[in-house]
Amino acid sequence: MEKNFILAGFGGQGILLAGTILANSFMLGGKNVTWYPCYGAEMRGGTVNCEVVVSDTEVSSVHKQDADFALVLNQQSFDKFVQRVKAGGTIIANATLVALSKPRDDIKYVFAKMGDIANAIGSSKVTNMVSLGVLADVCDIVSREYLAKAVELVLGEKKKQFLPLNLKALEAGCSALV
Amino acid sequence: MSSEKVLIKGNYAIAQAAINAGCQCYFGYPITPQTEIGEYLSAEMPKLGRGYVSAESELAAINMVVGAAATGAKVMTSSSSCAVALMQEALSYACSDEVPVVVVNVMRAGPGLGYVYPAQGDYNQAVYGGGNGDYKIIVLAPATVQECIDYTYKAFYLARKYRNPVILLADGLLGQMMEPACFGENPYPEVDVSSWALTGAKGRDGKAIYSCARDEKAHIQKIHDLFKKFEIITENETSYEEFETEDAEIILTAFGSMTRNIKAAIRVLREKGVKAGGFRPITLSPFPTKRISELAADGKDFVVVEMNMGQMFKDVKYAVEGKSNVSLVNRPCGEWLSVEEIVSSVEKILNKKEGAYASCI
Repeated sequence: MEKNFILAGFGGQGILLAGTILANSFMLGGKNVTWYPCYGAEMRGGTVNCEVVVSDTEVSSVHKQDADFALVLNQQSFDKFVQRVKAGGTIIANATLVALSKPRDDIKYVFAKMGDIANAIGSSKVTNMVSLGVLADVCDIVSREYLAKAVELVLGEKKKQFLPLNLKALEAGCSALV
Repeated sequence: MSSEKVLIKGNYAIAQAAINAGCQCYFGYPITPQTEIGEYLSAEMPKLGRGYVSAESELAAINMVVGAAATGAKVMTSSSSCAVALMQEALSYACSDEVPVVVVNVMRAGPGLGYVYPAQGDYNQAVYGGGNGDYKIIVLAPATVQECIDYTYKAFYLARKYRNPVILLADGLLGQMMEPACFGENPYPEVDVSSWALTGAKGRDGKAIYSCARDEKAHIQKIHDLFKKFEIITENETSYEEFETEDAEIILTAFGSMTRNIKAAIRVLREKGVKAGGFRPITLSPFPTKRISELAADGKDFVVVEMNMGQMFKDVKYAVEGKSNVSLVNRPCGEWLSVEEIVSSVEKILNKKEGAYASCI
């Protein structure tokens, strides 16, 4: 089993951090995992994305052309990555910034108002954590427990004061879909 | 830190492994995709009372490395493709001087300024070099973040054991990716450098390190000695990984991070009934010529898969010496050849029976 996740959004939405937490959660679950960022001549306000590949065996390659799951937090990312989801795959979109549309009929769509949920909790900055919660709800191989542990691990001692807010956001994401 | 797994970026893994290996000084100049190595060391080395110098250029950095290595210190620089090109003169000197320098090249696309995305176009630069004269460098090519750590330890050890420069040849993919990895302990023993290291002549006779010999006869002898040394390195240190070659009819060959893709491609090909195996040189120099030659003598064909225009392809052909077919599946840079692309290319090659086919995707 090898699954490939693309996470994408605006620079500043915490995409790389969300990817790092997702990758750590897989590591904590004893899986092989590789995280790979887009890098290069990027600019502020532009789009950013990263790829997380999880596997029971050695991770074959990153820099893949298509994904099993795409988690997108803004419209540009939706437009770009909806074309790169495998047939039968799933795109999970932040409906606060992404218009409801289904340009392909061979993939699944999940829309959740992640930005609104984050704001209700107290900060739009935790939209990325809400999105991970939604992902855990939608995708069986993503574990809520390991995600919570991964948030703690990544924030570390230095940013411990942000842990309750982030965990709350994660939890809210997990129950965003009814 | 030792036995615990951490999710870490290849560049940081190399930097921390260098610290664990006892690297005393780092000299470097930033360039994507390896800037994190210098960034990390700039913070950590001063805390340990070790040296970090942000050099004014790569040319300066490598010459600082050569100078520091002459004192017997463990030293390193890191850079990427077009900037490693600037270091070639000094690497020829370091071989001739027999000083143990460690150079990390996290490859990006060339030629010229190229671009920041990953590639494997510096195989020739590392293995054959761009400096003058007859010299040989030890080249290690990691395929995972774990190996970035393991081979950084090894690079420092081999450099000092043989008084020879070592290049750790990674690529932008490895430098930028994060994977769970374990630092463990540096497994290699300390090497005594007191017989040659220039540490000041107080209380003893002076020593010197020369890159040139005093006359023609001595110079010829010096080069023979360097090559005899490399024969010993070839005998002792040639390293490779083989998978499912025993019953294989066709062997996929790759180096560095492309190894991962051929391993997955072999699994797919086996499921389809193709007797595919894999061969992956770990030391690109010394190259495992002998083992490839043995496999070719058994009638096994080779497919070289690499992210350049066929640089390792030539070394495999040289090792095979016409005993079997050697084909090339490649792309010059950018998005790594996918498992699907490799599988379909190998199937195409298998459908054409005679001769060697070069296919450039």
